[in-house]
Amino acid sequence: MSTKGTRIPEWLTVPFAGITPAPTQEKGQDLFPTGNWRSIRPVYRDKLPPCNNACGTNEKIQGYLDLVKRGKYLDAYALIKEDMPFPSVTGRVCYHPCETACNRGQYDEAISIRAVERFLGDLGQALQRDVVKPGKPNGKKVAVVGSGPAGHSAAYQLARLGYKVTILEKSPKAGGLNRGGIPDWVLPQDVLDREIERLIELGIAIKTNTEVGKDVSWDSLKKDYDAVVLAVGLTEPNSVRAEGENKQGVIYGLPFLRDIGMGTSKVKLGARVAVIGGGNTAIDCAREALRQGAVEVTMITVEGNPKEMPCVPEDLHDMLEEGVELIHGKAVTAVLGNGRVEALELHPAKFSGAINASPITINKDVAAEKFAVDNVIIAVGQHASLAWLPAEFKTERGSIKIDRFGRLGDTNFFAAGDIVQLGSGQPLMVVNAVGDGKRVAFNLDKALRGEALEPRKIAIDVIVDLNRMNMTYFPHFPRVKQDMLNPTSRKKTQDEVILAFTEEQAVEEAGRCFSCGTCNACDNCYLVCPEPCIARSDRSNGLYKILVDYCKGCRVCIEECPTGCLEGVPELDFDAGVVRMDTAFAISPGLHGRQAQELANLASRPAKEL
Amino acid sequence: MATAMETIKKKTVRINGCVASAQAAKYADVDVIAAYPIRPYTATMMALAQMVANGELDAEYIVADSEHSQLSIAHGASSSGARVFTGSSGVGVQFAYELYSPISGSRMPVQMMIADRTLDPPGDFGSEHTDALSTRDMGWLMGWSCDAQEAFDNHLMAFRIGEDRRVLLPQMVCQDGFFVSHITTDVELPDPGQVKEFLPPYKHPYPLDPRRPVSHGPQIMPEQGPPLQLERARAMEGCMPVIEEIHEEFARIFGRRYDAWLEEYKTDDAEIVFFLQGGHAVTARFAINHMREKGMKVGMVRLRTIRPYPTERVCETLSRFKVVGVIETNMGLGSVSSGGSLYAEAAAALYESPKRPLIMSFMAGMGGEAIVLKEFYWMAQKMIDAQKRGKIEKRTHWVGFEE
Amino acid sequence: MPAIEVQRQTLPILGNPNQGARFYNPDLPASEPFVPGHRTCAGCGPSIQYRMTSKASGDNTILVGPTGCMYVANSSYLCTPYNVPWAHTQIGSAGSFTAGVAAAYEAMIRKGKYKGTFPNVICEAGDGSASDIGLASISGALYRNHDCLIICYDNEQYANTGIQASSRTPYGGMTTFSPPGPKVPEAKTLYPKDLARMMAAGHPHCYVATASVGYPIDLMNKVRKGLNHKGAAYLMIYTPCQKGFVYETPRSIDLGRLVVECGLYPMWEWNPEKREYDYSFRPQTMRPVAEYLKLQGRFGHLHAEHIANLQKFANQQWQMMGVQLPEALIKSADPKNQVNMAASAEAEAVAQTL
Repeated sequence: MSTKGTRIPEWLTVPFAGITPAPTQEKGQDLFPTGNWRSIRPVYRDKLPPCNNACGTNEKIQGYLDLVKRGKYLDAYALIKEDMPFPSVTGRVCYHPCETACNRGQYDEAISIRAVERFLGDLGQALQRDVVKPGKPNGKKVAVVGSGPAGHSAAYQLARLGYKVTILEKSPKAGGLNRGGIPDWVLPQDVLDREIERLIELGIAIKTNTEVGKDVSWDSLKKDYDAVVLAVGLTEPNSVRAEGENKQGVIYGLPFLRDIGMGTSKVKLGARVAVIGGGNTAIDCAREALRQGAVEVTMITVEGNPKEMPCVPEDLHDMLEEGVELIHGKAVTAVLGNGRVEALELHPAKFSGAINASPITINKDVAAEKFAVDNVIIAVGQHASLAWLPAEFKTERGSIKIDRFGRLGDTNFFAAGDIVQLGSGQPLMVVNAVGDGKRVAFNLDKALRGEALEPRKIAIDVIVDLNRMNMTYFPHFPRVKQDMLNPTSRKKTQDEVILAFTEEQAVEEAGRCFSCGTCNACDNCYLVCPEPCIARSDRSNGLYKILVDYCKGCRVCIEECPTGCLEGVPELDFDAGVVRMDTAFAISPGLHGRQAQELANLASRPAKEL
Repeated sequence: MATAMETIKKKTVRINGCVASAQAAKYADVDVIAAYPIRPYTATMMALAQMVANGELDAEYIVADSEHSQLSIAHGASSSGARVFTGSSGVGVQFAYELYSPISGSRMPVQMMIADRTLDPPGDFGSEHTDALSTRDMGWLMGWSCDAQEAFDNHLMAFRIGEDRRVLLPQMVCQDGFFVSHITTDVELPDPGQVKEFLPPYKHPYPLDPRRPVSHGPQIMPEQGPPLQLERARAMEGCMPVIEEIHEEFARIFGRRYDAWLEEYKTDDAEIVFFLQGGHAVTARFAINHMREKGMKVGMVRLRTIRPYPTERVCETLSRFKVVGVIETNMGLGSVSSGGSLYAEAAAALYESPKRPLIMSFMAGMGGEAIVLKEFYWMAQKMIDAQKRGKIEKRTHWVGFEE
Repeated sequence: MPAIEVQRQTLPILGNPNQGARFYNPDLPASEPFVPGHRTCAGCGPSIQYRMTSKASGDNTILVGPTGCMYVANSSYLCTPYNVPWAHTQIGSAGSFTAGVAAAYEAMIRKGKYKGTFPNVICEAGDGSASDIGLASISGALYRNHDCLIICYDNEQYANTGIQASSRTPYGGMTTFSPPGPKVPEAKTLYPKDLARMMAAGHPHCYVATASVGYPIDLMNKVRKGLNHKGAAYLMIYTPCQKGFVYETPRSIDLGRLVVECGLYPMWEWNPEKREYDYSFRPQTMRPVAEYLKLQGRFGHLHAEHIANLQKFANQQWQMMGVQLPEALIKSADPKNQVNMAASAEAEAVAQTL
């Protein structure tokens, strides 16, 4: 017997006939970790998508588009509500810098983000109870002066942080610019009303007809509240400094819209109306003028062409569609007429420097041009009324002086919105005011809790380069267009001009999002890994994990990451999770004895459920 | 299990060796059959095809595309937990050669029926044992039957032995082409109840079962080879007591007793013996009777199981005689005896014997020719001459080609 | 005893939830039949294929691995990455061993010896096994229509033996058995065996398709269609080999797309019910073959005329699928419109020194 007296040393024990028990899913084939083959490690590193970056309040746009794509509308709504108290409003009125920044714009057409936002905002409006809840009361009181976008936003965030918030509003109705500066056919009043109700549901008190400087003083604010947010906005219209500007029939844009909005307007327009100005308010005024009975509406701008106009291009397009005429490169130098405007005197004009940010030069060498009108609406911007403010907090340009945290000196007063941004270069737009209000609210909270305040963050890694993404995953697809009312019929009514997305449209449009630089749980890395050493905790989220014990560093996942979230980092940069050479070739004596034992025990183990 | 004589329904049928093998597969209730035609074993597969067509046997009957595929199918099916049956002859056995070691190495008790056929060239239908014998070191249990009844019995025993947890090895159950495979004799077919008692269902400990996943046949490092080879060698040696135990069990249930290793015929007082395997034993018995009548002290020792080789038994048994004449019926070109391969193993088994007989090799029954009486006498004479001389003339004689 | 009816699995076909930005997020089970801890090269194409295939098939699966990379590299040192039953078989036994497994389960379930649903029986054969040595055994399994799926993971060569030409190696492909030299500047002179069409033509009752790792959802759906098809199915899957093709590892999936886009790997399905080819798969773009070739060292020696020959070959493949050829691709088949590969002169110089 040749095998008599033979023995297999323990370190050479092998399982029966070399039959090996299966490795486990949890641990992988732990006898053979291959992680030390790697010199580059894939790392998930979310960048800031350009839309999020461009948004005045840094809405997590990519995030909610991704949720909409997956049909998780409520989650998407909750996400948007972190930064934006009234998506139903911005979903209608926003000048959408996000869409301008959208990477898809360089590829085919930008995502219709605003329409998706409106879809979510309307969804939120329809909810019986909002998803947002007030924070645990912290016993502190804050006054927010002004209920426009900035005040609304600050009050909303403060209520979520647990403050007892009182909004002081000088008008009879809350809403500020949202109410008084935006026509009904863009933002129906009941939509705004519902958003104001949401504030009240958060426990915020709104005192209307309460004007600072008149009904409440600086000192009483200081005495009655732990802190104050000043978001009073720009309430006084600018003049064009033309001769005879005080004639009858000359109207200012913002009061014109505000009175219509508040239902207190007594204006009766003649047939021919001129609108002075090239911004969004001017456009709203021109279009509102049509709805108020004007027949011929002409817009007169200093800007030399439509592209220079500081407005949302779609709105300009819609205005022209409704039949408003444009005159470019002209300034009003005089309002003619006998007590009442009959005509305007126009001279060629241009900006002396940068468009919309430098004084206007008027060329009076050329003979004046006469332009006959029945009414003229002047919409060339606003300024503040700050008589009540201590002089030390006033700036030369007529705004409130704040530090880089939004704070007035070392007081517990903060300011936000147009009142601080006037002349700062930041467009005076709703979403920017919302962002301001949000940031100031957080800093106010920090100040009261004695924490260090945070200046506005500058994005450090914004994906803009399509080369950082894998464009093979993105076929060209056209933007989903929002339906609109017919221009000839709509211009006579207060009906909302732009129609909402249907659910299908919203999902389709959200689906076009590149998710620039951000993991959106597409599973691509997970599927293409040859090991596979990318673990996924749940199908619905992006919680992937690279099993560094096994990853060989082939970088297929990085190459195939559609969004550019995955990056290769040299292994030498790590000091943890590194697989050492002595364990990488794990076949050290005796290891297979474990397998032999496992195999022998196999029958007593529970069988796999199939 | 009731095995009282009155409940047992045996029957005797007149069938040839091929059909006996097919009957054995049927009684064993095989699950998968892998067939490919080559004479003479084909008749077994023809019979099984008819049984499946008739509904007498529920099995997957697969007509493979080659013998290589036959054995691979058998390997795959056995690995999955099915009892499998396949077979071949001659060059067909060789075509499948690659699979013999993997099957025994993975310890799958595949059963293969072989009806021997001469290897090419020449394209000869007749029986030579070289086809199966060439695979003898591949880790398969192997033995020859000498008639259809023994073939039937050996198949059943081989299943039982190979599938025993202590063994788990494939089996080649061989019979001579034509002499056994195509000659009709009486065969007693047992009662199914007896078979049920004797042969429990096949259960490999680690089959390919998704509920308990394992990997069969992974690659190894060189140092892992020896322990696996040693394990297979131990299985081969370790099965010897199991083989004996199962022959006893067979005798108990079926009433037919075989010595697991050797059949001795008229050896009590024999001085010279023929040492052979397979169907030529039947003619040898006749010739021995003839010679005994003339007073010659001649007998026969037939090797029933060549793998594992019963070295001690062969040594002890053959040492009792003066001269051993090995009838090869196989080709061992350029081998130690320049004849066949049985000589070398028998001689090696005898080497340690204190009382070694003279041993010589006869190339007889080659190409499927019957060994006729005259040739037995010729061989006996050569052995008697050597006994007288106390020395062999030469190691190998080509019978029929020498004076 | 009456036969027990064999219960079979039906795997759902995956949808592609998002067309605008082609994200996958397919509805796949969490279990991993193929786990990490194996010795395949970094970025291994066949391994990517293995991962996708096993993920699509799920836990009730038995894998058969004829000799090849996926045996040698995956099951090294008694450490296998298979969390489902797996068996090695001989390189020529791909179809037959698989047939044995399938037949065993048919019989065992029918006879009550195995209680459970019929498993997915998948054979993962390399192109050496599938197109050369195991061709007959695979044909046998397809012809006999065992309920199994036979996959040829096609890396166009014998890779684990050190890159030798198989009958799937493309014209112009350099391997150690088809090196370029002054007498044979194009390296491999023969065109690849049209293996998948051969299988479809010869076994029209089977589901047959080609796939590529460049299209994971399509690949996994073809695997599932093959498994759902009652009877035998055959897939030929393009799986680039970093070691043999000589490219940068991150490009594995990219090559899987490019090879389809340039027409060198026609994607189709054979519909066994209608007995016709389905050529509806269309890559996003069509490209000249040079864009695919230039990424790989194995084509670095090619001259303009050889590239033109390959373009001609690709154009024929498009035409076989009924695709109208753009003018640019017709022009590319003219050697005058091609340039030598950057390394062709070097390759010649090396050859001269040998």
